Amino acid sequence: MTDSKFPRRALLRGASYGAGAAALAGVAASWDRLTAADVHGRDDHALVVATLGSAVDPAAQRALSDGFRALHPGLDVRLVPVQATDWSDFFAKILTQIAAGTAPDVVYVATEGVQLFAQRLGVALDDRVRRDKEELREYFADVHPSLVESMMFEGSLYQLPVEFNAADIYLNRAVLKRSRVEVPPPDWDRDDFTALLRTMKRGGGSGFTPYFWTNRLWGGVVPWLFANGTNVLAESKAPGGDWLWDTFYPPRDRRGRGGGYRWARPQATADRVEEVYEYLSSLIQDRLCSRPEGGSGTNLVGVFSTGRVGVTPAGGFWAGGLHTAGMRRDAYDVQYFPRWRTQRHQFGAAGYALLKTSKKQDEAWEFIKYSVRKDVLTQLFHANQTTPARRSMVHAARYEETGPKNWPVFYDTLDQFPATGPIPAPPQAAEVEQLLLKHTGTALADARGVRPALRHLQSDLEKAMERAT
Amino acid sequence: MTTPVLDRRPTPTSSATAPRRSLKDRGTRLLAALFLAPTLVGVLVFTVVPIVGSVVLSFFHWDVIGTPRFAGTDNYTQVFTDDTVLVSFTNTLIFMVFAVALQLLLALALALTLTNRMPSWLRSTFRSAFFFPLILSAASISVVMKYLFNQDFGVVNWLLGHVGIAPVPWLTSEHSAMAAVILVYVWQQFGFSFLLFVGGLNTIPKEIHEASSLDGASGLRKHLSITLPLLSPTLLVASVVGIINALQVFEQPYVLTDGGPGDATRTVVMVIYQSAFEQLRFGEASAIGVLLFVLIMAVTALQFRLSRRFVHYQ
Repeated sequence: MTDSKFPRRALLRGASYGAGAAALAGVAASWDRLTAADVHGRDDHALVVATLGSAVDPAAQRALSDGFRALHPGLDVRLVPVQATDWSDFFAKILTQIAAGTAPDVVYVATEGVQLFAQRLGVALDDRVRRDKEELREYFADVHPSLVESMMFEGSLYQLPVEFNAADIYLNRAVLKRSRVEVPPPDWDRDDFTALLRTMKRGGGSGFTPYFWTNRLWGGVVPWLFANGTNVLAESKAPGGDWLWDTFYPPRDRRGRGGGYRWARPQATADRVEEVYEYLSSLIQDRLCSRPEGGSGTNLVGVFSTGRVGVTPAGGFWAGGLHTAGMRRDAYDVQYFPRWRTQRHQFGAAGYALLKTSKKQDEAWEFIKYSVRKDVLTQLFHANQTTPARRSMVHAARYEETGPKNWPVFYDTLDQFPATGPIPAPPQAAEVEQLLLKHTGTALADARGVRPALRHLQSDLEKAMERAT
Repeated sequence: MTTPVLDRRPTPTSSATAPRRSLKDRGTRLLAALFLAPTLVGVLVFTVVPIVGSVVLSFFHWDVIGTPRFAGTDNYTQVFTDDTVLVSFTNTLIFMVFAVALQLLLALALALTLTNRMPSWLRSTFRSAFFFPLILSAASISVVMKYLFNQDFGVVNWLLGHVGIAPVPWLTSEHSAMAAVILVYVWQQFGFSFLLFVGGLNTIPKEIHEASSLDGASGLRKHLSITLPLLSPTLLVASVVGIINALQVFEQPYVLTDGGPGDATRTVVMVIYQSAFEQLRFGEASAIGVLLFVLIMAVTALQFRLSRRFVHYQ
């Protein structure tokens, strides 16, 4: 080896390695790939909108973001679908993002989280709604005031309702036919309901459950509490909100409206609450209804569509679910929840909330307005996976393919029963929900368990509400 | 006898080689440090820092949204007076005892059967079959099991119905829910202990069994006096890992019963999750986490202490 050759060979080798590395780097740089800036919230460019992943399908989501970009060419929007089993899980993930410093600008929030977000994270929309009132007049005229009121907190509006679901009763028509009964009339009551279950049970066989329900805040024990004119937390209204009612609603719709719901005082040991639990317990003892099982009720579609369940509480979202599961439009129908002392129904609604951590609040407001446009909602909810908040979208053509025949029930649950209200969801709704589910499980696991379980529920709710104050 | 490898006395050498060896040693150490660095950084960032962070957080009130406020020992006081937390610790200990005992017994019985009674061509099939559930997601398994154990529509009750047994409320009765959760957990987890035991049994010299047979020892006596003592190091490892995993059980009760009915199947990790992410009480959740950490450390230390008396190394 000579000294004179080595540097030249090494130089050539180095140059070729360098050229190769540069070529690789060039290819890598031009490749469309993920970087740290792709984690939403880490770049200041796009408006970040967090939605519940399973609520809206990806194609519809793209339509939502593409349409907004077309309308506002200067604004980029990034939809972040968050996969979650339920709203509580969804909020947990959003709060984790906030803790990580990557808070979205806009979050899709359901009734369960409206007051939590309003109290701690949300921006009141009052001034913006007042400013753009002419633009929004058509929207409010199309949306039931109960839905709007459910999005208010202490006199201010925090969200524009996009969708809702009230707990109505779904009935399997094959089971009705087998039992030789018709779809019950709208004004049926609790005794009619019990009689229907008994009739179904007689012809159902061993693997059949007349009434199936899932132990959760929406659609669990709560619709029965509403029907009996009670609730686990005493309900009242906050003052205020006149500015909104006077601006957008006629006098008949303003009556009794306020500045949003308040749920502060636990009343789990009230006689009417106990009546509800005793009634459900008696249904379980008579094997007319399933024991309350936790979870999202994902197996319910299967057992209902195959005739192993006769009736179950669900909202408009189930029309799409049953259709997807292969159930024909005439194989099921829907009716109001039966009357007890009242025929008040419960609902849950959802819409986009603007977070105060957002640096793009004006753009976020444009997105929120865009999200409630009729053409946008039509694209989003084409599969009947929910009930649109706009009355004009709930029409015969929408349910032509999926059913049910009695589809007007979905919006009439609001229009025919104006007292229909949201599930109890104070700012500490997650804890309330957890306690309700836990003690409902205990109360109904044993025939003698109702009273002690409700005493524990009352005590735990008192502690939870006290802790929150 | 002293082997050259172990002889570390300085050897007569020229003054030039000493610094060269020292440089070589330093280089080796540097190389070792470089290889260890990724793991050490990983352990530091993903294990040590979160543990220290949890301990610190347990002395604060924090709801993610606001600024943490110093709480002193409030969170610990709250935890010790919260019935749900106390019940969850009791549930977790009950779960641990039954789940680990059942898991070890089942795994040992199957490992002995597979090693002693099964033709060799079938062994690998069964080894894979028993291990398979372990590589599946616990949440997915629990979703399927939830269907199977459903009181009204589940396959388990359907089968029991064929032999005249009335439907059992597996997941909705305080008496049977924990049993169902344990069954699902053991079904998924025993494959790990099973593999350890199969490996352990294969290391026991056949000559010892043959000698004991010549001495007239029965099958049970051989297992009690030879197999178990020689398998005791494996048993220790399986029980330590089993207990640590069982004390941290979450997915199965969360998906199957959501902790219910009531608090019947609520475990410590479920309470940690619910306190933190559902009730936004991160300080309290951290305090519970610290207590669970201490419990796991204490139980593991106790196991190692007891192992001095019961574990026999060949």
